[in-house]
Amino acid sequence: MILLVLLLSLKVPDAQQFVGAPQGTPVAGAQLYQRTHEVASLLRCPVCQGMSVADSPSEMAINMKEQVRELLARGYTEEQILKYFELSYGQFVLLKPKSWVVWTLPIIVLVLGIALVIMKIRKLQGGAAGSQPAETPPETDPYLAQVRDLVSGEKP
Amino acid sequence: MNRGVLFIGILIAAALVVILFVGLGKDPAAIRSPLVGKPAPAFALREVGTNNTIDIAQYRGKPLIINFWATWCGPCWEEHPILVANARMLQPNVQFLGVVFQDKEDKILGFLQQRGTAYPTVVDDRGKTAIAYGVGGVPETYFLDANGVIRAKFAGPMSGDVIQANLQKVLR
Repeated sequence: MILLVLLLSLKVPDAQQFVGAPQGTPVAGAQLYQRTHEVASLLRCPVCQGMSVADSPSEMAINMKEQVRELLARGYTEEQILKYFELSYGQFVLLKPKSWVVWTLPIIVLVLGIALVIMKIRKLQGGAAGSQPAETPPETDPYLAQVRDLVSGEKP
Repeated sequence: MNRGVLFIGILIAAALVVILFVGLGKDPAAIRSPLVGKPAPAFALREVGTNNTIDIAQYRGKPLIINFWATWCGPCWEEHPILVANARMLQPNVQFLGVVFQDKEDKILGFLQQRGTAYPTVVDDRGKTAIAYGVGGVPETYFLDANGVIRAKFAGPMSGDVIQANLQKVLR
């Protein structure tokens, strides 16, 4: 009786506080196992080095995976589950960052870099074509003239 | 040197210096939690060694310091006497609460009997409360204001100064 009263009085934070009521269909059986693995693969284990919740053997990851399973069984969608973990841990917990900057910035920088290199190459080629060696001016430097004479074998 | 290349180089170097300056100026233990500024997730858990339930709602009206810890965590041993000393000094105006997860009841009781305590400790059996709070490791501590809103989060063992500094954020 005491145990029952105790169990009824216990309360753990629930996903409903964070993301509202389930918006999907409850999953069960083999599909539940499969979906749990898929959703847990999208979550980062917070105590590991770059491992997903699905792959990590740590107790924290096991607890998180258990929670994913429970939420799927209650009918929470993948988006709701990811949102729930994101609200607690931040975007860090998502293995696929949502921010568009993370995905697009490297591409933008790459395109800019290629454009810069092409511009530079064209400029160098244009500069080389446009700067044909001018007619050699008559020798004015007496030192150079002396060297040229020495090389050609003539004595000054 | 080409002025354009020089300009781009200076721009990149300046951006890196700014990023480094901002990053290095931060306290790595003062974790930016998405829950800071939001109401703390509600929970009522069993007090270790008893059949009493402790609901954090019962502490509304005064600042609450929730410390997640475990007996297998070395830094928690280091932090424990500081928490106990500060709890003795600040309670009842400020409430301290320990939440233990990924641990065994007999070990928790042994730890508390051996090292003493000054505030209640509850057991988070399957780590659901820790997950809802975004706990990544232990010890981690959350500072709640009198309205139950999380005002600060600290990761790692705390000193008396850290407790005081974070309490200032709660009382602001």
